[in-house]
Amino acid sequence: MPPDALATRRPWRPRLTPGALGLPLALGVLALALGHLLAGPGLGPGLIALFAPEATLDAASTLVLHYAWWPRLAMALLAGGGLALAGVLMQQVLRNPLAAPTTLGVASGANLALMAASLMAPGLLGLGREWVALAGGGMAMGLVFALAWRRGLAPVVVVLGGLVVNLYFGALSMVLLLFHQEELKGLLIWGAGSLAQNGWQDVAFLAPRLAIGGLLAWLLLRPLAVLALDEAGARSLGVSLKHLRLAGLGLAVFLTGCVVSVVGIVGFIGLAAPNIVRLAGARRLGARLAWSTLLGALLLAATDLVLQRVSGHLPTLIPTGATTAALGAPLLLWLIPRLRLAGETPPREARALGGRHPAPGRLAGGLAIALLGVGAVAMLAGQGADGWQWASPSDWTLLQWRVPRALAAAGCGVMLAIAGTLIQRLTANPMASPEVLGISGGSAIALMGAIFLLPAPDNLTLVAAGTLGALASLAVLVGLNRASGFQPERLLLTGVAITALFEAIKGVVLAGGDPRGQQVIAWLSGSTYYVDPTSALSVAAAALLLALVAAPLGRWLDILPLGGATATALGLPLARARLALLLMVALLTAGATLVVGPLSFVGLLAPHMARLMGFARARAHLAGAALTGALLMVLADGLGRQLLFPEEIPAGLMASLLGGAYFMWGLQASPSRR
Amino acid sequence: MPRPRRALTWLAGLTAALVAAATPADAPRLATLDWTLAETLVALGEPPAAVAQVEAYHAWVGEPALPASTIDLGLRSQPNLERLASLAPERILISPMFANLTPRLEHIAPVETLPLYRPERDTWREMRELTRSIGEMVERPEAASGLIEQTEARLDALRQRLDDATAPLLIMQFMNSRHVRVFGDNGLYQAVLDRLGIDNAWTGPTNAWGFSLVGLEALAGLDARLVVVEPYPAGVRERLDDGGLWGHLVEASRGTPIVLPPIWSFGALPSAERFAEQLVNALEPDDAA
Repeated sequence: MPPDALATRRPWRPRLTPGALGLPLALGVLALALGHLLAGPGLGPGLIALFAPEATLDAASTLVLHYAWWPRLAMALLAGGGLALAGVLMQQVLRNPLAAPTTLGVASGANLALMAASLMAPGLLGLGREWVALAGGGMAMGLVFALAWRRGLAPVVVVLGGLVVNLYFGALSMVLLLFHQEELKGLLIWGAGSLAQNGWQDVAFLAPRLAIGGLLAWLLLRPLAVLALDEAGARSLGVSLKHLRLAGLGLAVFLTGCVVSVVGIVGFIGLAAPNIVRLAGARRLGARLAWSTLLGALLLAATDLVLQRVSGHLPTLIPTGATTAALGAPLLLWLIPRLRLAGETPPREARALGGRHPAPGRLAGGLAIALLGVGAVAMLAGQGADGWQWASPSDWTLLQWRVPRALAAAGCGVMLAIAGTLIQRLTANPMASPEVLGISGGSAIALMGAIFLLPAPDNLTLVAAGTLGALASLAVLVGLNRASGFQPERLLLTGVAITALFEAIKGVVLAGGDPRGQQVIAWLSGSTYYVDPTSALSVAAAALLLALVAAPLGRWLDILPLGGATATALGLPLARARLALLLMVALLTAGATLVVGPLSFVGLLAPHMARLMGFARARAHLAGAALTGALLMVLADGLGRQLLFPEEIPAGLMASLLGGAYFMWGLQASPSRR
Repeated sequence: MPRPRRALTWLAGLTAALVAAATPADAPRLATLDWTLAETLVALGEPPAAVAQVEAYHAWVGEPALPASTIDLGLRSQPNLERLASLAPERILISPMFANLTPRLEHIAPVETLPLYRPERDTWREMRELTRSIGEMVERPEAASGLIEQTEARLDALRQRLDDATAPLLIMQFMNSRHVRVFGDNGLYQAVLDRLGIDNAWTGPTNAWGFSLVGLEALAGLDARLVVVEPYPAGVRERLDDGGLWGHLVEASRGTPIVLPPIWSFGALPSAERFAEQLVNALEPDDAA
């Protein structure tokens, strides 16, 4: 059962308790704080500075203590505690240990609202950026709730809705950032979560709100515990699941929104603290809430104090939020082999979306015709010096810029969609996607390294670096998961850790404000811009080849979502099948990532869209997803080139916006087709 | 209101334009992705035919302005290749930052990569070299020498106007209400301060672009006059007025903080001269009174 999915694996070890985990951490925080005070004005004056900065002689250092250091420490404790509390609530209601405070799109909503306000209504930010951020977060949450309302806020629908709202708002923010990098550079610091303070205002804003949130959580304790039961059990107790979920999620979102609005996006604490506490043996919801809050506060404070010690010697700011994610990722990687996960039981609602189309062959034929039509229009219609024009099909001087891009877009769409279908069926988790698996993240880390560390990298160097990164991620995935026979939950956790590391590095890189960040953003947004005829042909050929290889895997893919036990009983060589599929996914993802970058999300969306259309059996699902992915990418590439001509919206972002809109529509419109 | 110096530049530009109009064959059609190269080209009287993100150039670089006929190439990081190809420029100028585009751009026209702000190099000398290389590229070496001489003469004249005892300066740009870019070694502002004989109070490490991103607390205890380069991000000025650490930093600093209008922090000679001009005007006691 997901809420108790994590436990110590080796019972003969000295028993780990939350207290035994929290105490050394608390002592560490205390030692670091004391160390800072003693290295500065000393303990007495340091404490006096907390309350009365003017009372001491050495003005500069006590002022900094009073207005920056003490509020920062308070903020770290508050924010860490708040996020961890929100994380427990989220994981409890959604019954998913991968749920985090930002799962419902609060942070991306806040981010988008801040960006939009900066560009269009800067006056609003003068009134108070917290309110703008809270409004944006609330809007995102409202959208998720609206999507999932008719399904009674069922966890799987909420998670999917959150995922798609997250990526939708994320894509919109990315577009704004791409076109207004100079204006929005300050928000990148916010996006990486810096705890630096300029007085006590923010602490005064946050503290009472978190106190109210904590109180409400305590009041909701008993009803929320019911959610650990399965759906039927909870219903039989006479609980209104919908309203209970609304209350639990609403509270979690409120807490997250408050924290995010003042310090920005702090990664990982809300995901890691509840999982660590459960790993340390806290079972009951009350204990998990209390210990997680404490642990989250201490984790963030410890990270921030360590960071302050080292950051004085660097020419750039290392934001705390990104650092927690960067430190948390190895921690999670270390924990994964030590977790006992309930991955071998079939997940109940993984395939709850979409019905079965009576004639999937006809549907696929329709998609193929649409693909050809859209491709032709995308290549022939376009704006030039004198507005819109139709190009003649023989005008190669013009078409040399368009044909390779359309071809590469289609190829990447096919590869990512197949990879997504494979990984979603392999893990039976609707949140799974090639991006989540960390292959794209690993290749993106290597690419950012190449852009920043090499003086003037050419494209060949970048491709080589990207391939190396993808291979390294794959090695980590295989190395950490071989012993468990590639258990799906574990695979996903590994991927989440690698992706978190990527997000962290991206955050640090962008927050630093280096002008080269522009190039990173452009590449990360998933563009076919860099494709030349040779690479387009190789991508298309690779897509075709890998699609042919994937086709005979249909039987495995029909059986695997039934869970490990069933699959073994049906005679499936489980570990071998999983490894083979994983290798396929890695190949497909690496190939597509090198061309369009890591953030296209076609791999997540296309399989779901195919399911919504009614492609149910594995082989039909593969074909439907591949066609959908290609159609989505070709359409996105064509539109992206023309909408804001001469500026181009990268295909990956356009695909996220188009696919996301369709997906949201399908999600809320299909309550009956279960 | 054009000051005498600017009028001179304009005159030079006008003459150049007239000359160019008379002999169109001499003016190579250039396209550039980089604003620093674009501003230098304009100052040399050979404005590029096409520049990336023209609108943003006017917001962030401002002067010298691009002619209205300048064609927008789209994003700096991903210029529109179809449009660039249809313009058929004779040369495309880029900075090393865009080197990964070279193979694509070379299909359209020869690409010249012009570096600036390399570490371990004297920034001012690099600016002069950059100006000279561009001057040769547009076949107007005398305009390049003229721009260099005129800028240096202007900075020398400005230096004469300063007190000997000018306080060290701390030059910063707000990123949000708690973080600033503080400018130091290997940057445009440092190069100008050196020529004006003013000390920079920030001696800490800087990145390859001559700034360091720090929290406000890093500025405490530095004995300096504060110089803030606009723009303030939305909402930041209001937050700073609330007091807190910034209020105390202002109190502890020398004199009233100077606020300068936006300047392209990664520019070349034209931006350097603009910064020097505005800084010295603000430093002069009569202006402050």
